[in-house]
Amino acid sequence: MKKTNFVLISLIILPILTWSTKIHAHGSKINYRETKAIEIQATYDDGTPMANAQIVIYAPNNRNIPWMKAQTDAEGKFTFIPNEEIDGNWDVKVRQSGHGDIISIPVSDRENLQTQIITSNFEYNPMQKLVMTVASVWGFVGTALFFSRRKS
Amino acid sequence: MHVPDGILPPAVAISGYGISGGITWYCLKQIEKQNNPQAQIPRSSLLTAAFFVASSIHIPIPPISIHLILNGLVGALLGYYAFPAILIGLFFQAVMFGHGGLSTLGINGIIMGVPALFAGYLFRFRYLFKTNKKMLQNVLVFAIGCGTLLISAALFTTIVLTNISPDFNSELERNAIFISLFAYSIQAIIEGSITVAIISFLERVKPQLLEGN
Repeated sequence: MKKTNFVLISLIILPILTWSTKIHAHGSKINYRETKAIEIQATYDDGTPMANAQIVIYAPNNRNIPWMKAQTDAEGKFTFIPNEEIDGNWDVKVRQSGHGDIISIPVSDRENLQTQIITSNFEYNPMQKLVMTVASVWGFVGTALFFSRRKS
Repeated sequence: MHVPDGILPPAVAISGYGISGGITWYCLKQIEKQNNPQAQIPRSSLLTAAFFVASSIHIPIPPISIHLILNGLVGALLGYYAFPAILIGLFFQAVMFGHGGLSTLGINGIIMGVPALFAGYLFRFRYLFKTNKKMLQNVLVFAIGCGTLLISAALFTTIVLTNISPDFNSELERNAIFISLFAYSIQAIIEGSITVAIISFLERVKPQLLEGN
């Protein structure tokens, strides 16, 4: 009787144990925490995204060895989380078919980090560009007029 | 096709300045030999303006975006004046719009200026064709406009390919450059056509502008 009971109890418990083990094997959990990431977007002069361009990131404490290598997405974007223990200027180089740029991103005081947009080159609006182009062209035209004047 | 700052090692950038300086000196010596060196300055100045503005005309050819250079036209019309004119145009492009770079000004001058000098030499051969054979003249002018751009693209590709930083994946970069060569071929055809259109127009309206390069 005792033997029968033991077998019966074993038959009931064994599947439960097995089931429980399976749950642990396929179990997964997701943790999250808020962090500050840096998003870069690389574009050509006319605003066309540099899709699949190569990115090399240098940490402030070692500018000779790349901290990370990656590629931009179809929109020329890439996001990375700088190491929390390293403050300073993070250099990001972007390159594609001989074109590219380098930007130095200052990272410090992470608690009070605000969303800000930094560009590698100062961005002029179309009107400013037009004025600059017209002024330069006028300079060239003025030179032409000066040298083509009639000598008295 | 402008090499920006930070792409080339300092030794290459400095060598570019040295070679560009030598070519400029040679061009100025040749200009000095002319009867009236100042006579061509108005034309050079206007074409420098055209070269400067042309770079802001963008043509998107995926995956990259190209912009007009017109160094074939500048070379054909200016001869020895073309090299200093292109250097000045490149300087303004770099300072005003960050197009190209100041450290790579010499290298960019070689990439765009040297083919322009060849264009100037070739353009003198158009007189070999009889005036009634306009078609042959136009073919030569197209070849000048197209070929100059292709030589520039070849120089750009060679300089960039031989100076890929070890931090970048050279195979990925090489593939990207070879893809961009397709876009440069289309640009060469566009520039060849523009050169033919402008030279033909000047030939009808003011043929004296085509003389004395």
